Amino acid sequence: MLFGRRRARTFPIFTTLISANILKTIVLYFTLRFAPFQVYFNTYWTLVIADVALQLGVAYELASLVFKPLGAWAPDVRRTFIGIIAVSLVVAAGLTWLASPPARFWQQRIVIRGNFLTSVLMSEFFVALVVLSVTLGLPWRTHVARIAQGFGIFSIFGIFTDAAHNLLGAHYYQMVSHLEIELYLAVVAYWIVTLAIQEPEPRKMPEELRLELRDLQRRVTMMLSSLRAMGSPS
Amino acid sequence: MRQILFLITAMVFAMSLIGIATFYILRARKASRTAWTTLLARLRQIDRTSVAAVALDLLEDRDAEHQLQPDTIFQMIHGMEGMEALEQNCDVLIDLAAYVQKWYPEALELAEELRLNAREIKWHIGRLRGASATGHLQEQFPIYAQRAVATYYLMTRSLLVLYEGVQLPEFAELQRAI
Repeated sequence: MLFGRRRARTFPIFTTLISANILKTIVLYFTLRFAPFQVYFNTYWTLVIADVALQLGVAYELASLVFKPLGAWAPDVRRTFIGIIAVSLVVAAGLTWLASPPARFWQQRIVIRGNFLTSVLMSEFFVALVVLSVTLGLPWRTHVARIAQGFGIFSIFGIFTDAAHNLLGAHYYQMVSHLEIELYLAVVAYWIVTLAIQEPEPRKMPEELRLELRDLQRRVTMMLSSLRAMGSPS
Repeated sequence: MRQILFLITAMVFAMSLIGIATFYILRARKASRTAWTTLLARLRQIDRTSVAAVALDLLEDRDAEHQLQPDTIFQMIHGMEGMEALEQNCDVLIDLAAYVQKWYPEALELAEELRLNAREIKWHIGRLRGASATGHLQEQFPIYAQRAVATYYLMTRSLLVLYEGVQLPEFAELQRAI
Protein backbone atom coordinates (compact mmCIF):
# COMPACT_ATOMS: atom_id res chain seq x y z
CA MET A 1 0.00 0.00 0.00
CA LEU A 2 2.78 2.41 0.93
CA PHE A 3 4.60 1.84 -2.36
CA GLY A 4 1.56 1.08 -4.53
CA ARG A 5 -0.21 4.30 -3.56
CA ARG A 6 3.08 6.25 -3.46
CA ARG A 7 2.73 7.13 0.22
CA ALA A 8 6.36 6.11 0.81
CA ARG A 9 7.54 9.42 -0.68
CA THR A 10 5.59 11.41 1.90
CA PHE A 11 6.38 9.08 4.81
CA PRO A 12 9.86 7.63 4.16
CA ILE A 13 10.69 6.92 7.83
CA PHE A 14 7.28 5.36 8.49
CA THR A 15 7.77 3.16 5.41
CA THR A 16 11.22 2.15 6.70
CA LEU A 17 9.74 1.27 10.10
CA ILE A 18 7.02 -0.92 8.61
CA SER A 19 9.56 -2.64 6.32
CA ALA A 20 11.98 -3.08 9.23
CA ASN A 21 9.22 -4.68 11.34
CA ILE A 22 8.56 -7.26 8.64
CA LEU A 23 12.29 -7.94 8.30
CA LYS A 24 12.66 -8.11 12.10
CA THR A 25 9.95 -10.76 12.39
CA ILE A 26 11.62 -12.93 9.74
CA VAL A 27 15.12 -12.56 11.24
CA LEU A 28 13.93 -13.26 14.79
CA TYR A 29 11.93 -16.30 13.69
CA PHE A 30 14.94 -17.94 12.06
CA THR A 31 17.33 -16.89 14.84
CA LEU A 32 15.06 -18.41 17.49
CA ARG A 33 14.73 -21.64 15.55
CA PHE A 34 18.30 -22.18 14.44
CA ALA A 35 20.61 -20.19 16.77
CA PRO A 36 21.50 -20.38 20.48
CA PHE A 37 19.46 -18.28 22.94
CA GLN A 38 22.31 -15.80 23.47
CA VAL A 39 22.45 -15.03 19.74
CA TYR A 40 18.67 -14.62 19.69
CA PHE A 41 18.83 -12.28 22.68
CA ASN A 42 21.60 -10.15 21.13
CA THR A 43 19.74 -9.97 17.80
CA TYR A 44 16.47 -9.13 19.55
CA TRP A 45 18.04 -6.36 21.58
CA THR A 46 19.87 -4.86 18.57
CA LEU A 47 16.62 -4.84 16.58
CA VAL A 48 14.70 -3.30 19.51
CA ILE A 49 17.20 -0.40 19.56
CA ALA A 50 16.77 0.07 15.80
CA ASP A 51 12.98 -0.11 16.27
CA VAL A 52 13.01 2.58 18.97
CA ALA A 53 15.22 4.82 16.81
CA LEU A 54 12.83 4.40 13.88
CA GLN A 55 9.76 5.07 16.06
CA LEU A 56 11.34 8.32 17.25
CA GLY A 57 12.12 9.07 13.61
CA VAL A 58 8.45 8.55 12.69
CA ALA A 59 7.41 10.86 15.51
CA TYR A 60 9.77 13.50 14.11
CA GLU A 61 8.47 12.90 10.59
CA LEU A 62 4.86 13.42 11.69
CA ALA A 63 5.81 16.48 13.76
CA SER A 64 7.58 17.96 10.73
CA LEU A 65 4.51 17.43 8.55
CA VAL A 66 2.26 19.06 11.16
CA PHE A 67 4.49 21.90 12.34
CA LYS A 68 6.28 22.85 9.13
CA PRO A 69 3.91 22.07 6.27
CA LEU A 70 5.41 24.91 4.23
CA GLY A 71 9.00 23.88 4.83
CA ALA A 72 10.06 25.91 7.86
CA TRP A 73 9.53 25.50 11.59
CA ALA A 74 7.77 28.32 13.39
CA PRO A 75 10.45 29.95 15.56
CA ASP A 76 8.66 29.40 18.88
CA VAL A 77 7.30 25.93 18.01
CA ARG A 78 10.77 24.44 17.63
CA ARG A 79 11.80 25.58 21.12
CA THR A 80 8.58 24.23 22.67
CA PHE A 81 9.06 20.97 20.82
CA ILE A 82 12.62 20.49 22.11
CA GLY A 83 11.33 21.28 25.63
CA ILE A 84 8.63 18.62 25.26
CA ILE A 85 11.22 16.03 24.19
CA ALA A 86 13.38 16.85 27.22
CA VAL A 87 10.46 16.64 29.70
CA SER A 88 9.18 13.42 28.06
CA LEU A 89 12.59 11.80 28.44
CA VAL A 90 12.82 12.71 32.13
CA VAL A 91 9.28 11.47 32.93
CA ALA A 92 9.78 8.24 30.95
CA ALA A 93 13.13 7.59 32.66
CA GLY A 94 11.57 8.27 36.10
CA LEU A 95 8.70 5.85 35.54
CA THR A 96 11.06 3.18 34.18
CA TRP A 97 13.30 3.58 37.21
CA LEU A 98 10.31 2.77 39.45
CA ALA A 99 9.76 -0.54 37.66
CA SER A 100 11.40 -3.67 39.05
CA PRO A 101 10.29 -6.62 36.91
CA PRO A 102 10.61 -10.09 38.47
CA ALA A 103 12.85 -11.94 35.99
CA ARG A 104 15.54 -14.60 36.28
CA PHE A 105 18.03 -13.03 33.87
CA TRP A 106 19.27 -9.44 33.80
CA GLN A 107 18.76 -9.46 30.04
CA GLN A 108 15.03 -10.09 30.54
CA ARG A 109 14.84 -7.17 32.96
CA ILE A 110 16.55 -4.90 30.42
CA VAL A 111 14.14 -5.91 27.66
CA ILE A 112 11.03 -5.46 29.83
CA ARG A 113 12.19 -2.09 31.15
CA GLY A 114 13.38 -0.98 27.70
CA ASN A 115 9.99 -1.73 26.15
CA PHE A 116 8.21 0.14 28.93
CA LEU A 117 10.49 3.16 28.45
CA THR A 118 9.72 3.21 24.71
CA SER A 119 5.96 2.95 25.25
CA VAL A 120 5.92 5.80 27.78
CA LEU A 121 8.13 7.99 25.62
CA MET A 122 6.14 7.44 22.44
CA SER A 123 2.79 7.94 24.24
CA GLU A 124 3.97 11.23 25.74
CA PHE A 125 5.27 12.29 22.39
CA PHE A 126 2.05 11.66 20.50
CA VAL A 127 -0.15 13.25 23.15
CA ALA A 128 2.16 16.31 23.13
CA LEU A 129 1.89 16.41 19.34
CA VAL A 130 -1.92 16.52 19.58
CA VAL A 131 -1.94 19.12 22.39
CA LEU A 132 0.56 21.43 20.69
CA SER A 133 -1.09 21.28 17.26
CA VAL A 134 -4.59 21.89 18.67
CA THR A 135 -3.32 24.76 20.84
CA LEU A 136 -1.62 26.38 17.85
CA GLY A 137 -4.58 25.69 15.56
CA LEU A 138 -2.49 23.73 13.07
CA PRO A 139 -4.54 21.41 10.86
CA TRP A 140 -3.63 17.75 10.36
CA ARG A 141 -3.59 16.21 6.91
CA THR A 142 -5.74 13.08 6.86
CA HIS A 143 -2.95 10.52 6.43
CA VAL A 144 -0.71 12.15 9.04
CA ALA A 145 -3.60 12.07 11.51
CA ARG A 146 -4.36 8.40 10.82
CA ILE A 147 -0.74 7.30 11.25
CA ALA A 148 -0.46 9.30 14.48
CA GLN A 149 -3.75 7.86 15.79
CA GLY A 150 -2.50 4.32 15.19
CA PHE A 151 0.79 5.02 16.92
CA GLY A 152 -0.89 6.84 19.79
CA ILE A 153 -3.30 3.98 20.53
CA PHE A 154 -0.58 1.34 20.21
CA SER A 155 1.83 3.26 22.46
CA ILE A 156 -0.70 4.03 25.21
CA PHE A 157 -1.92 0.44 25.18
CA GLY A 158 1.78 -0.47 25.36
CA ILE A 159 2.05 1.28 28.74
CA PHE A 160 -0.60 -1.10 30.13
CA THR A 161 0.91 -4.24 28.63
CA ASP A 162 4.48 -3.26 29.50
CA ALA A 163 3.38 -2.38 33.04
CA ALA A 164 1.87 -5.90 33.15
CA HIS A 165 5.22 -7.29 31.96
CA ASN A 166 6.91 -5.42 34.79
CA LEU A 167 4.49 -6.78 37.38
CA LEU A 168 4.09 -10.34 36.15
CA GLY A 169 7.66 -10.79 34.96
CA ALA A 170 9.08 -13.16 32.39
CA HIS A 171 6.66 -16.04 33.15
CA TYR A 172 3.69 -14.28 31.60
CA TYR A 173 5.72 -12.52 28.92
CA GLN A 174 4.31 -14.57 26.08
CA MET A 175 0.68 -14.13 27.07
CA VAL A 176 0.91 -10.34 27.37
CA SER A 177 3.03 -10.15 24.21
CA HIS A 178 0.28 -11.86 22.23
CA LEU A 179 -2.10 -9.08 23.21
CA GLU A 180 0.41 -6.53 21.92
CA ILE A 181 0.87 -8.43 18.66
CA GLU A 182 -2.88 -8.59 18.11
CA LEU A 183 -3.24 -4.87 18.68
CA TYR A 184 -0.32 -4.16 16.34
CA LEU A 185 -1.98 -6.21 13.60
CA ALA A 186 -5.23 -4.31 14.14
CA VAL A 187 -3.35 -0.99 13.86
CA VAL A 188 -1.58 -2.17 10.68
CA ALA A 189 -4.98 -3.12 9.20
CA TYR A 190 -6.27 0.36 10.12
CA TRP A 191 -3.27 1.96 8.36
CA ILE A 192 -3.77 -0.18 5.24
CA VAL A 193 -7.40 0.88 4.94
CA THR A 194 -6.91 4.58 5.75
CA LEU A 195 -3.79 5.01 3.61
CA ALA A 196 -5.58 3.42 0.66
CA ILE A 197 -8.15 6.24 0.69
CA GLN A 198 -7.12 9.42 -1.14
CA GLU A 199 -6.82 12.66 0.81
CA PRO A 200 -9.03 15.55 -0.30
CA GLU A 201 -7.06 17.67 -2.77
CA PRO A 202 -6.29 21.12 -1.31
CA ARG A 203 -7.09 24.23 -3.36
CA LYS A 204 -4.17 26.22 -4.72
CA MET A 205 -3.90 29.85 -3.67
CA PRO A 206 -3.59 32.21 -6.68
CA GLU A 207 0.05 33.14 -7.30
CA GLU A 208 -0.77 36.86 -7.30
CA LEU A 209 -2.40 36.60 -3.90
CA ARG A 210 0.51 34.64 -2.50
CA LEU A 211 2.93 37.34 -3.65
CA GLU A 212 0.66 40.08 -2.33
CA LEU A 213 0.39 38.42 1.08
CA ARG A 214 4.14 37.88 1.21
CA ASP A 215 4.75 41.52 0.35
CA LEU A 216 2.19 42.64 2.92
CA GLN A 217 3.76 40.47 5.61
CA ARG A 218 7.19 41.86 4.75
CA ARG A 219 5.88 45.41 5.19
CA VAL A 220 4.12 44.48 8.44
CA THR A 221 7.34 42.92 9.76
CA MET A 222 9.27 46.08 8.88
CA MET A 223 6.71 48.30 10.59
CA LEU A 224 6.70 46.14 13.71
CA SER A 225 10.51 46.12 13.77
CA SER A 226 10.55 49.91 13.69
CA LEU A 227 7.98 49.96 16.53
CA ARG A 228 10.22 47.67 18.58
CA ALA A 229 13.23 49.85 17.77
CA MET A 230 11.50 52.76 19.51
CA GLY A 231 12.48 51.05 22.75
CA SER A 232 10.58 50.61 25.99
CA PRO A 233 9.60 53.46 28.25
CA SER A 234 11.59 53.72 31.45
CA MET B 1 5.70 -1.78 47.98
CA ARG B 2 7.70 -0.50 45.01
CA GLN B 3 5.63 -2.66 42.66
CA ILE B 4 2.39 -1.16 43.96
CA LEU B 5 3.79 2.36 43.66
CA PHE B 6 4.92 1.58 40.12
CA LEU B 7 1.51 0.15 39.18
CA ILE B 8 -0.41 3.13 40.57
CA THR B 9 1.94 5.67 38.97
CA ALA B 10 1.89 3.93 35.58
CA MET B 11 -1.92 3.61 35.56
CA VAL B 12 -2.52 7.20 36.67
CA PHE B 13 -0.01 8.35 34.06
CA ALA B 14 -1.59 6.34 31.24
CA MET B 15 -5.12 7.42 32.18
CA SER B 16 -3.99 11.06 32.30
CA LEU B 17 -2.51 10.76 28.82
CA ILE B 18 -5.75 9.23 27.52
CA GLY B 19 -7.76 12.00 29.21
CA ILE B 20 -5.58 14.80 27.83
CA ALA B 21 -5.54 13.36 24.30
CA THR B 22 -9.33 12.84 24.31
CA PHE B 23 -9.96 16.37 25.59
CA TYR B 24 -7.81 17.97 22.87
CA ILE B 25 -9.11 15.75 20.06
CA LEU B 26 -12.70 16.64 21.01
CA ARG B 27 -11.72 20.31 21.20
CA ALA B 28 -10.20 20.14 17.72
CA ARG B 29 -13.31 18.43 16.31
CA LYS B 30 -15.56 21.02 17.91
CA ALA B 31 -13.41 23.83 16.51
CA SER B 32 -13.49 22.34 13.01
CA ARG B 33 -17.28 22.17 13.16
CA THR B 34 -17.57 25.72 14.41
CA ALA B 35 -19.79 27.61 12.08
CA TRP B 36 -18.75 30.92 10.63
CA THR B 37 -21.38 32.76 12.66
CA THR B 38 -20.11 31.24 15.93
CA LEU B 39 -16.61 32.37 15.03
CA LEU B 40 -17.74 35.93 14.33
CA ALA B 41 -19.87 35.97 17.47
CA ARG B 42 -16.70 35.54 19.52
CA LEU B 43 -15.42 38.91 18.31
CA ARG B 44 -15.85 41.59 20.97
CA GLN B 45 -17.11 44.98 19.93
CA ILE B 46 -14.26 47.38 19.19
CA ASP B 47 -14.60 50.85 17.69
CA ARG B 48 -12.89 50.19 14.35
CA THR B 49 -12.57 53.88 13.49
CA SER B 50 -10.79 54.62 16.75
CA VAL B 51 -8.52 51.60 16.34
CA ALA B 52 -7.56 52.74 12.84
CA ALA B 53 -6.99 56.33 14.00
CA VAL B 54 -4.77 55.30 16.94
CA ALA B 55 -2.83 52.81 14.81
CA LEU B 56 -2.25 55.19 11.90
CA ASP B 57 -1.16 57.87 14.33
CA LEU B 58 1.80 55.64 15.13
CA LEU B 59 2.35 54.03 11.75
CA GLU B 60 2.28 57.19 9.65
CA ASP B 61 4.93 59.90 9.83
CA ARG B 62 3.28 62.91 11.47
CA ASP B 63 4.46 66.14 13.05
CA ALA B 64 4.39 66.18 16.83
CA GLU B 65 1.56 68.72 16.84
CA HIS B 66 -0.66 66.43 14.75
CA GLN B 67 -0.10 63.39 16.93
CA LEU B 68 -2.76 62.09 19.32
CA GLN B 69 -2.43 63.10 22.97
CA PRO B 70 -2.04 60.34 25.61
CA ASP B 71 -5.41 61.16 27.20
CA THR B 72 -7.12 61.01 23.82
CA ILE B 73 -5.60 57.58 23.13
CA PHE B 74 -6.81 56.31 26.52
CA GLN B 75 -10.35 57.50 25.79
CA MET B 76 -10.42 56.23 22.22
CA ILE B 77 -9.29 52.75 23.27
CA HIS B 78 -11.53 52.69 26.39
CA GLY B 79 -8.64 52.00 28.72
CA MET B 80 -7.81 48.51 29.91
CA GLU B 81 -11.29 47.27 29.07
CA GLY B 82 -10.65 48.03 25.43
CA MET B 83 -7.25 46.38 25.59
CA GLU B 84 -8.79 43.20 27.01
CA ALA B 85 -11.30 43.12 24.16
CA LEU B 86 -8.39 43.52 21.77
CA GLU B 87 -6.56 40.62 23.43
CA GLN B 88 -9.56 38.31 23.06
CA ASN B 89 -10.09 39.34 19.46
CA CYS B 90 -6.48 38.41 18.61
CA ASP B 91 -7.34 34.74 19.21
CA VAL B 92 -10.41 35.06 17.00
CA LEU B 93 -8.31 36.62 14.21
CA ILE B 94 -6.00 33.58 14.31
CA ASP B 95 -9.03 31.27 14.14
CA LEU B 96 -10.37 33.30 11.23
CA ALA B 97 -7.11 32.72 9.35
CA ALA B 98 -7.25 29.03 10.29
CA TYR B 99 -10.82 28.95 8.88
CA VAL B 100 -9.39 29.66 5.41
CA GLN B 101 -6.92 26.78 5.85
CA LYS B 102 -9.81 24.34 5.46
CA TRP B 103 -9.74 25.10 1.73
CA TYR B 104 -6.34 26.72 1.29
CA PRO B 105 -3.63 25.06 3.42
CA GLU B 106 -1.18 27.76 2.30
CA ALA B 107 -3.08 30.25 4.49
CA LEU B 108 -1.15 28.64 7.32
CA GLU B 109 1.71 31.04 6.65
CA LEU B 110 -0.49 34.03 7.47
CA ALA B 111 -2.08 32.27 10.45
CA GLU B 112 1.42 31.69 11.78
CA GLU B 113 2.35 35.37 11.34
CA LEU B 114 -0.86 36.42 13.07
CA ARG B 115 -0.10 34.09 15.95
CA LEU B 116 3.29 35.76 16.42
CA ASN B 117 1.67 39.21 16.18
CA ALA B 118 -0.89 38.16 18.80
CA ARG B 119 1.88 37.09 21.14
CA GLU B 120 3.43 40.52 20.79
CA ILE B 121 0.11 42.21 21.56
CA LYS B 122 -0.36 40.03 24.62
CA TRP B 123 3.12 40.96 25.77
CA HIS B 124 2.24 44.69 25.52
CA ILE B 125 -1.01 44.11 27.42
CA GLY B 126 0.90 42.15 30.05
CA ARG B 127 3.17 45.16 30.54
CA LEU B 128 0.09 47.35 30.93
CA ARG B 129 -1.33 45.02 33.58
CA GLY B 130 1.99 45.25 35.42
CA ALA B 131 1.91 49.05 35.17
CA SER B 132 -1.68 49.03 36.40
CA ALA B 133 -0.70 46.95 39.43
CA THR B 134 2.09 49.38 40.34
CA GLY B 135 -0.03 52.48 39.71
CA HIS B 136 1.81 53.63 36.56
CA LEU B 137 -0.91 52.83 34.03
CA GLN B 138 -1.68 56.41 33.05
CA GLU B 139 1.89 57.21 31.94
CA GLN B 140 2.65 53.88 30.25
CA PHE B 141 -0.73 53.29 28.60
CA PRO B 142 -0.25 55.40 25.45
CA ILE B 143 3.08 53.77 24.60
CA TYR B 144 2.21 50.07 25.03
CA ALA B 145 -1.44 50.42 24.06
CA GLN B 146 -0.69 52.27 20.85
CA ARG B 147 1.86 49.64 19.80
CA ALA B 148 -0.62 46.86 20.56
CA VAL B 149 -3.38 48.66 18.65
CA ALA B 150 -1.07 49.26 15.65
CA THR B 151 -0.13 45.56 15.57
CA TYR B 152 -3.81 44.56 15.84
CA TYR B 153 -4.72 46.94 13.03
CA LEU B 154 -2.07 45.39 10.77
CA MET B 155 -3.39 41.93 11.66
CA THR B 156 -6.90 42.89 10.54
CA ARG B 157 -5.57 44.36 7.27
CA SER B 158 -3.66 41.16 6.46
CA LEU B 159 -6.71 39.03 7.19
CA LEU B 160 -8.92 41.14 4.93
CA VAL B 161 -6.39 40.87 2.08
CA LEU B 162 -6.46 37.08 2.50
CA TYR B 163 -10.28 36.81 2.49
CA GLU B 164 -10.63 39.16 -0.45
CA GLY B 165 -7.87 37.38 -2.37
CA VAL B 166 -9.35 33.88 -2.09
CA GLN B 167 -12.80 35.37 -2.77
CA LEU B 168 -14.53 33.79 0.17
CA PRO B 169 -18.21 34.80 0.37
CA GLU B 170 -17.63 35.67 4.02
CA PHE B 171 -15.38 38.59 3.05
CA ALA B 172 -18.08 41.28 3.19
CA GLU B 173 -19.25 40.16 6.62
CA LEU B 174 -15.69 40.07 7.90
CA GLN B 175 -15.04 43.54 6.57
CA ARG B 176 -17.98 44.83 8.60
CA ALA B 177 -16.90 42.94 11.71
CA ILE B 178 -13.24 43.93 11.94
